[in-house]
Amino acid sequence: MIHLRDVTKSYSRGEQAVLACAVDRLDIDSGEQVALVGRSGTGKTTLLHILAGILRPDRGEVEIVGQRLEQMGESARDRHRGRHIGMVYQTFNLLQPFTALENVLMGALFGRGADGDARLRAEALLQKVGLADRMHHRPSELSVGQVQRVAICRALVNDPELVLMDEPLGNQDKATGGQVLDLMLQIAADDHKTVVMVTHDPESAARMQRTVDLSTLRGQEVSR
Amino acid sequence: MRLVSISMRNLRIRLVATVLTATSIIVATALYAAILTMAEQTKARYEGSIGGFQAIAGPNGASELELVLNTIFNVGEAPGLIPLEVCQKLRAGRGIGRRSQVRYAIPQARGDSISSFNFPVIATIDEMFTKFEWKRAPLQFDEGGPFSFSYAQLIEMAEQLVIYENALRAEVKPEDRPQRPLLQKSWRKCVIGARVARALGLELGQVVTPVHGKVGEFGSHEHPEASCEIVGILAPTNSPIDSTIYLPLGIHLLIDGHEQGVFIAPQIPGKSPAQIESMPTNVGRIGLTAVIADPKDHMGPQILRREFGSHPEAQVAWPQDVVPKFLRQIGNAADALAVIAWLVLLVAAVSITVAIYNTMNERRREIAIMRSLGARSVQILTIITAEAALLSFFGAVLGLILCHVASYALQGLVEDRTGVFLDWAQVRLWELWLLGGVTSLGALAGLAPAVKGSMTQVADNLAQNY
Repeated sequence: MIHLRDVTKSYSRGEQAVLACAVDRLDIDSGEQVALVGRSGTGKTTLLHILAGILRPDRGEVEIVGQRLEQMGESARDRHRGRHIGMVYQTFNLLQPFTALENVLMGALFGRGADGDARLRAEALLQKVGLADRMHHRPSELSVGQVQRVAICRALVNDPELVLMDEPLGNQDKATGGQVLDLMLQIAADDHKTVVMVTHDPESAARMQRTVDLSTLRGQEVSR
Repeated sequence: MRLVSISMRNLRIRLVATVLTATSIIVATALYAAILTMAEQTKARYEGSIGGFQAIAGPNGASELELVLNTIFNVGEAPGLIPLEVCQKLRAGRGIGRRSQVRYAIPQARGDSISSFNFPVIATIDEMFTKFEWKRAPLQFDEGGPFSFSYAQLIEMAEQLVIYENALRAEVKPEDRPQRPLLQKSWRKCVIGARVARALGLELGQVVTPVHGKVGEFGSHEHPEASCEIVGILAPTNSPIDSTIYLPLGIHLLIDGHEQGVFIAPQIPGKSPAQIESMPTNVGRIGLTAVIADPKDHMGPQILRREFGSHPEAQVAWPQDVVPKFLRQIGNAADALAVIAWLVLLVAAVSITVAIYNTMNERRREIAIMRSLGARSVQILTIITAEAALLSFFGAVLGLILCHVASYALQGLVEDRTGVFLDWAQVRLWELWLLGGVTSLGALAGLAPAVKGSMTQVADNLAQNY
């Protein structure tokens, strides 16, 4: 599912190049649930963006769902991300002017298409996460937990093979967040989806099948 | 959900900015449409209204254009008077036009009006309905028929007027003077145009009373003695004939207060105005505002041109020559106004660019989120360009509606001032072109901000909280 080889990504800060992320080797199988952990600044989010195809590595090989992302153009990577990858962010990144249902459909619009089937799928997902009566509410009218669930539905609406999560519990209490995360992982396990989650939280990491620590080892795997 | 729904939502959430930007598009489109409407309908009106008016004889002092505008299109005041002898000679085939053998020469006098619409009253003879040809056929009646006042009756009445007038000039004692001709009851009939009937709800048998001058103007007054029963309502011609009331010339000449203007004093070298005033007059000196005539053959116009070229009091104008020249002038003015309207549209387009460009900074995160969901640059470009295009489209639609509403509201005023009837309900093909043009211009205006938006850095902007 995911195969990374000798991947590095640097940013230029003035005349200096700052290494943001370096992974010698990373392999994640289909259906695996992996936590990416590490100190701040070790490049967890950068790696997540590389896996999503938002960033292109300076060098190395990135194979996601059978596609070599570093060889693809920006537009092809966008299309690939829309169809095969679902994303959940720390701040959830819902679009405020749109309702919960529209936010979920937005994922479909840029993924496999927001046709009638997508609408049915979106409604079914929202129903599954307990938001049947909140579909037509805007994010500002929902609680943090509800917003998180909408973000999860948006990530799943295209039935992606890979779900990437960036600190999905960052903005809420652990009890509520934990329940929603469990729900997400359950849905992913049922549908045999691969999940990669960036987190600082050991409890969240413990919910995953495997943990990769980017701060101590440049991409070497750490088993639980 | 479609990309265009996102564009629509973006316009809605920035409603105030959207409305303000759209206003400039509305005004510019309405302005451009109004200019095109006026130019087009003026052309149609003026070109379509000259059928039948082959030649117009009028006073020398006026320009040909003035003569045509007043006689056919009821625009402005009558530029002066010509003596009846011009009409007599045209009809008799002697003197002026003796070889032209006109098919008809119909005298007209104007100066009165009715109702607040200021529908003009034209005094004439029954040949206006029997011999005059509107687009090669006599005027048709929707209801009733013509009044009865012939050229012979005009001359007979004029002779009685001359006898009376000459007795006055000779200062004959009142008891020895002949009686002034009386207004015959049988003359008090009139024919009205289709628009007059429609606008005032007039029907056969009702009575209209002419007003001297224009209703509401200083010095205007009613002529109750000249009240006429409506005996005929003309079928629509889509020309100024529809807005005209025709009554017998006999009534016009005998209306109280018209005495001073009935006879034109000739200009005689070496005689003072007072001396001329006391000299005997004749039928030929009765004043008319115009004579409309139709030469029988192709030589007629040339002969009339030559002979009227040296006439001391009258000239002849040819609507077929004058109107196209006039329309070319209007066309040039309309072109100049159209350029201004396009400049206004251009300014409006720039305002769209500025308005959307200024929102790009605050929308970086929103765009980054869409990109992270898989939106390609070209889709972001489409969303923002569609916003500008939709804004322009709705602005253009409202601008066109505004133009039609304004045409409806100003219909009467414009017709009164220019003789052009604005058909507010007619939707023309060029309106679709204008709609497409303004929408495309808007889309072009949205390109610069769209390019900026499509180049938004996804990772950087996702990481920030604005």
